[in-house]
Amino acid sequence: MSRDVDRREFLTLAGTAAGAATLAGCSGGNETATETNDGSTATDTEASEELPEPETREEHLQRTNRLVHDDAPWIFLNRQYSVYGKSADIEWEARRDERIDGYAIEPTGSKSSVTITQSKMDTGLDPHDHRETTTDNIVTQAYEGLLERDREGKVINQLATGYERLEAGQVRFELRSGVSFHSGDSLTKEDVAFSINRIVDPEAGDLESSQSDQLAGVTGAEPADGDSAVIVSSDGINPVVFALFATYCDIVNKSWIESNDTAYINSNMEGTGPFMLDTYEQDVQVVFESYDDYYMDAAPADQLTIQSASEPSTRVNQLLNDETDIIVNVPPQNISQIQNADNASISAVPSTRIIYNAMIYNREPFDSVEFRQAMNHAVDLESIVSNVLGSFGDQTGQPTLEGFTGYNPDLDPYPYDTDEAERLVEESGYAGAEIELHTPSGRYLKDLEISQAVVSYIDELENVSASVKQRDFGTLVDELVGDLEASPSFYLIGWGNAAFDASQTIIPLLTTGGALTSYNNDRVDELMDQAQSMGGES
Amino acid sequence: MGSFGRFLLKRSLQGVVVILGVISVLFALRYVTPGSPVDFIAPLDASDATRRRIAESLGLNQPFYVQYGDYVVSLLQGEMGYSYRSRTAVAPRVFAKLPATLELAVAATVVAVILSIPLGVISATRRHTGPDYAATVFSFLGISTPNFWLGVMLVILFAVQFGVFPTSGRPVGLLDALGHLVVIAGPERGWALPLNVGPFLAAMQNWLLHVTLPAITLGTYFTALITRLTRSGMLDELGQGYVQAARAKGLPTTLVRYRHALRNTLIPVITVVGLQLGTLIGGAVITEAVFDWPGLGSLIIDAINNRDWPLIQGSLVVIGAGFVVVNVVVDALYVRLNPRVLE
Repeated sequence: MSRDVDRREFLTLAGTAAGAATLAGCSGGNETATETNDGSTATDTEASEELPEPETREEHLQRTNRLVHDDAPWIFLNRQYSVYGKSADIEWEARRDERIDGYAIEPTGSKSSVTITQSKMDTGLDPHDHRETTTDNIVTQAYEGLLERDREGKVINQLATGYERLEAGQVRFELRSGVSFHSGDSLTKEDVAFSINRIVDPEAGDLESSQSDQLAGVTGAEPADGDSAVIVSSDGINPVVFALFATYCDIVNKSWIESNDTAYINSNMEGTGPFMLDTYEQDVQVVFESYDDYYMDAAPADQLTIQSASEPSTRVNQLLNDETDIIVNVPPQNISQIQNADNASISAVPSTRIIYNAMIYNREPFDSVEFRQAMNHAVDLESIVSNVLGSFGDQTGQPTLEGFTGYNPDLDPYPYDTDEAERLVEESGYAGAEIELHTPSGRYLKDLEISQAVVSYIDELENVSASVKQRDFGTLVDELVGDLEASPSFYLIGWGNAAFDASQTIIPLLTTGGALTSYNNDRVDELMDQAQSMGGES
Repeated sequence: MGSFGRFLLKRSLQGVVVILGVISVLFALRYVTPGSPVDFIAPLDASDATRRRIAESLGLNQPFYVQYGDYVVSLLQGEMGYSYRSRTAVAPRVFAKLPATLELAVAATVVAVILSIPLGVISATRRHTGPDYAATVFSFLGISTPNFWLGVMLVILFAVQFGVFPTSGRPVGLLDALGHLVVIAGPERGWALPLNVGPFLAAMQNWLLHVTLPAITLGTYFTALITRLTRSGMLDELGQGYVQAARAKGLPTTLVRYRHALRNTLIPVITVVGLQLGTLIGGAVITEAVFDWPGLGSLIIDAINNRDWPLIQGSLVVIGAGFVVVNVVVDALYVRLNPRVLE
């Protein structure tokens, strides 16, 4: 199999199938060969600034971010923060990846049980059959993966004690010894291989896993001969494979899965984690007990309860009334209420989610790079972060978040400059344009309010008028994942990137054929294609 | 079969037709509502192949009539299919939520009836006096106060500030509380009133503490409505000739008001109470959200947001059936109170 074919298959499996044009672009390989569909050359910046050809994977990703920044296919908005309220009876700090690790919560004084209130409960307890943070927060108390992340997002060992690349399409994980499932069964390499195959191969575990696209490019796993290890195969080099395994693929007990039906697996748990399931009341609460035979020190809390309250004010009242210890998604208007309370405080951390306004690259007036840049200059992002988000957000100027592999530290957010915005609009030839921003409401923190602010800033320009259109999230998504021609021209959406790698944002959102793409730029496709064939680890 | 029996049978058969209509309309709605369940199960960046495989695993690739036939057959077998999201059976999930919703609806109704009928009677019998004006003001406030605001205010005042009630939740169900009595006073232990009622009382106290604020929140609008209805009905009845005749015959005012006028006033009130009870079963969504009350309302909202059609259909079929049953019971009561309806 040729290297080009490997790359094509990898991108397809990543849910971001690059089309033939993309791959054709790879062979060009020089700055003058590519031209964007809107007629402006995306490589103008590179050429005019005489930037050297990127060499490493990191440099390719950074260069891509620069191109995207300059070409402005989005209005770059904010990095969302995860804002939690926590009781004075515990010691705990929020993680960047939005997960709440019960093992890291330390009750103080005589307290031995901890309660967490989320916005929603799980959609079932099968660790391979969901894709939401709310379910993750429940299942990962009892299930563990090969790798995980620390609070800052760095990849660390969990059930693996080491990992290495064997060759371009193979990696090897060494397994921890002395690990047992909650039933008492010992963890084996067959369990680990089965768990990986159950996600990536619908035939292997009789499950159509919604996580299959998250182990991008992974084709299967098998137990290593002799040693306590597994060999994982991928299409191509798969530079993000360890980052993906640090986020997805909880390990299950093969015999337990095979001997139970779907409904049972979704209402019971058999993992290796520090907490074992005590009681499960679907849609109401999940109660865990500390697992005595855990391979590390027992969890500080004897009992962990996870419940939900969809109303933010209900969660806040529960915290202030000492009925819970951690609450999620504290809205900006309630932050001072918690900060002023004696029995509670705020724990906030930048999350892995970026909020942006996509502008479809080939629709009027967004087919003009000047118009798109004008929209970025028109919005006072600093004010939105300060006034709408209560300062719990960061301004962005590129698709990759700070701290991620591929982040370009040389790029600043577009400055708020209405004169420049109006000049660029005139230059674009679209003076007098009327645009409509489609936005969900309640899906992301203050999404509607952010959209209203964006639209009001744009509307202040003398040569553009803007309005906002509230949309049901499901309907909006239905349009976005379908035919690009049927999607709105201008919309707000958020994107979480749990792999902490630029490729997992840029490929699906900004490359040709990406599942949620709004942009087509051959040079970006080319750079990403090259980056994904390089071995630099994220 | 007497005329009352025939009436009940006719109403029940009409109810069955209505439920069949509800099932069919709900099933058809899934095809006209935008947003595929696959979009909510698959990640946003899932490939077309993954979306297609998920759709197949849910049976969504089957023709309309096959899916409808399968659904009706499963209902006849006492099942409601499996949730698209959690892959668990719908029926136990819906019936696990039903008691909480019924408890809240009944508790709100009890609050409303206990408060509204005396208020309405006092308001009518002391027309244009202080109590009448107070009841009128209360009614207008009750009708115009949004219950999400009222709920939050009650929590802040009585839970957070005074600590009298818990903020939210339903740790114990009414049936669980009553279950303590059944265990103690079962056939093996004899049916005598148990002496040790401690666990029962503790559970009931816990339940009452948790249900009070949501019941007041949900019942306030209803209280105001029934108060107005009772007042106007009572005023109408008190002006009727039979009331004048009863008074002329020397019957005590209390007897005339409460045995004769009030009884006739209650006929339309009972109809409205019945209809409102049905509405409360399906309409307590906001109150359930504010008080984190684990009823059908929150289940339906989540299901709608996820396009989890089996769960939406199961919940709404149960609510529809509940509505029909309540209406049949109300009709029966109406007939008992006013047999002329059968003529």
